[in-house]
Amino acid sequence: MRYRFGAEGDLTAPSDDRLTVGDPRVIDFLAKLARKLLAPAVARRHPELGSLGFFLRPAELHRTVAHLQRDDALVFPRGNVFHIPPANVDTIFVYSWALSALAGNHNVVRISERSATAADTILTALNEVLADADPVIGRTQRMITYGRDDKVTAALSQWADLRVIWGGDSAVEAIRKHPLRPSARDLTFPDRTSWAAVSAAGWRAADPAKRREAVLGFTNDSYWFDQAACSSPRTVFLVGADTDDVRTEFIELLLQVVDQRGWEIDAAMAVEKRVNAYGLAATGAVSSMEFPANTVTAMSLVTVPDAPRRWIGAGAFPFAEVGSLLELVPAMNRQDQTFSHFGFGSDELRAFALELGGRGVDRIVPFGSALTFGSIWDGFDLPREFTRLTTLVE
Amino acid sequence: MSSVFTLPQAAKEEVLLKELSALVEHHRENCEPYERILAANGYQPATTVAGLPWLPVRLFKNLELKSIPDDQVYKVLTSSGTTGAEVSKIYLDKAAAAEQTRKLGATVQSVLGPKRLPMILVDTKAMLKDRKSFSARGAGVLGMSNFGRNHVWALDNEGHVDVDALKGFLDQYGDEPFLIFGFTYLVWLHLYEVAKDNGLDLSNGILIHSGGWKKLVDQAVSPEEFRKRLAGVGLTKVHNYYGMIEQIGTIFLEGPTGGSLYCPDFADVVVRDPVTWEELPPGKPGLLEVISTLPTSYPGHVLLTEDLGVVHGIDDGDWPGKRFSVLGRLPRAEARGCSDTYREAA
Repeated sequence: MRYRFGAEGDLTAPSDDRLTVGDPRVIDFLAKLARKLLAPAVARRHPELGSLGFFLRPAELHRTVAHLQRDDALVFPRGNVFHIPPANVDTIFVYSWALSALAGNHNVVRISERSATAADTILTALNEVLADADPVIGRTQRMITYGRDDKVTAALSQWADLRVIWGGDSAVEAIRKHPLRPSARDLTFPDRTSWAAVSAAGWRAADPAKRREAVLGFTNDSYWFDQAACSSPRTVFLVGADTDDVRTEFIELLLQVVDQRGWEIDAAMAVEKRVNAYGLAATGAVSSMEFPANTVTAMSLVTVPDAPRRWIGAGAFPFAEVGSLLELVPAMNRQDQTFSHFGFGSDELRAFALELGGRGVDRIVPFGSALTFGSIWDGFDLPREFTRLTTLVE
Repeated sequence: MSSVFTLPQAAKEEVLLKELSALVEHHRENCEPYERILAANGYQPATTVAGLPWLPVRLFKNLELKSIPDDQVYKVLTSSGTTGAEVSKIYLDKAAAAEQTRKLGATVQSVLGPKRLPMILVDTKAMLKDRKSFSARGAGVLGMSNFGRNHVWALDNEGHVDVDALKGFLDQYGDEPFLIFGFTYLVWLHLYEVAKDNGLDLSNGILIHSGGWKKLVDQAVSPEEFRKRLAGVGLTKVHNYYGMIEQIGTIFLEGPTGGSLYCPDFADVVVRDPVTWEELPPGKPGLLEVISTLPTSYPGHVLLTEDLGVVHGIDDGDWPGKRFSVLGRLPRAEARGCSDTYREAA
């Protein structure tokens, strides 16, 4: 086991350290971390750390803490929190940990062995800030890396009051083999699917600059994590009638923007996309395929329910035309997370959300915001999940 | 010696274009998923061999692709891929099964001659009982054993070299031509070392071997080094081959002077640029596409492999047509998304 952050030693030993919800020592630590992540040199190399730094700035933290306070109960930290973030989305572990630390919890975060360079940059920044921080931070906040060791996972599961499992269905199933104490519970982030929708009327009404900006946002949403992040859109729904013109221009702009941004698709990924597209064609789910470049694969879905929910490669977009957003409602289910949109009026979006009624889709956001983490995620108000309430009747 | 390596490239392409275009139509009519794929991809009849519509070979792992009714299925071949759970399923009817055996025979007879030769199998009989590894390795060994007689297994049931059996075989048959077959790394690890240490005379042997170079590259043994060292123990007739279960019966065989694989008259290769997907000229490495007229019961006649290769020359080697090498495997694309925490670490 490698200690990546915080004091080394027994992770599950009882501790006398006490943090409060919105503990000033934690806020001070996170604010300093934010400054480091927002430094131009860091943000240039890893733009995703810029958004993280933005999320951790003091005003934002204070807002989150204020939001937790309530009149009908006293708010306290939940206790011990064990985080198991995904391997390759480098910033999730910080969001998950930071909100929990802000709530005053003692945290252990398991950092994947396969974490990438952005994670190393964050850990370096964390340790630099730790050097001058109140020692309570290092004693209560720990990050470790370990391999296939069920004993460690089992021990930390017994220690935890809350276990936070990211990384999809298989991760949740694997970790759940290790029992929690009866009073503890899991916060799980299973496999999700996300969608995009373009209003044909809105698109046609938008000027060329707006259309381009929309596609740029969509490109960031899609290509950042090889279109495999839970929030990355897969199928694009074209909402309206006779939308071929919209689709054609959308794909043209997509090709241009992807080219300018320098996103690259290697041969293995190109083959992967062919295998999946041909597979969808073979079963009759798609009626046409276009491969204008390795970066963009476009397909025509035959029916909306055929929209694939599994990952089919980086830059692989099934398209389907529907008359209105409401027509999509029957096809949405609990697995669906983010619905990113362009060109719709707020009434249309609100009617869509109300008709969904929470039975599917947790986030409805504009193009370009699909990957922007928020403290309300997957239908949970995370800061609230990280706290517990004591009622006091005098 | 009759050979299936006879056609110069231009003549071959003329024949292949006609036969394969007919096969495309045959599979379109008899395999609905294949027809759907071609329709979705805007199929137009091809005017060149390189223009024929190809399928990614991995589709045979994900889909049931066959051009014969269920009651005509005579044999289902399976291969365990390198990725574990996924298995290719290849459906043969009686005619296709017979034809693939016949064509494989004609191909190896191009270097062995028409008579069955005494044969050393560089493998262990025990492997045939291992149901897990049987499909790939066992099928290869059994298929090839048809082309020899008086077989001897070079390895005992524990996988150790049976030197006495080899000596006995060579005493009896070593003065006339004999056939040696085995997987490349087994030949290197077991036959070569043992022949060197025990002074076995393999100079009348004709070696046919396959199975990729990965395990030998780990030991820094190049194909050239392999040939050179085997020549050191008298084994100079050496033929590597490249083939896959998805095109059963078709093998691309190394010529007598080594260094290149050749396509039999009923098969060909195209090397594709993995960016433009156009055919690459000789000397430029890319993705290998394999073409064969043998797959009549399933649409495996034009397959894009996940192997990298390069054409060295056309009509300028031991035999007519294209000569090429396989350079290695394309790594499998992986998502770097959210759902991967425990894919390996569970």
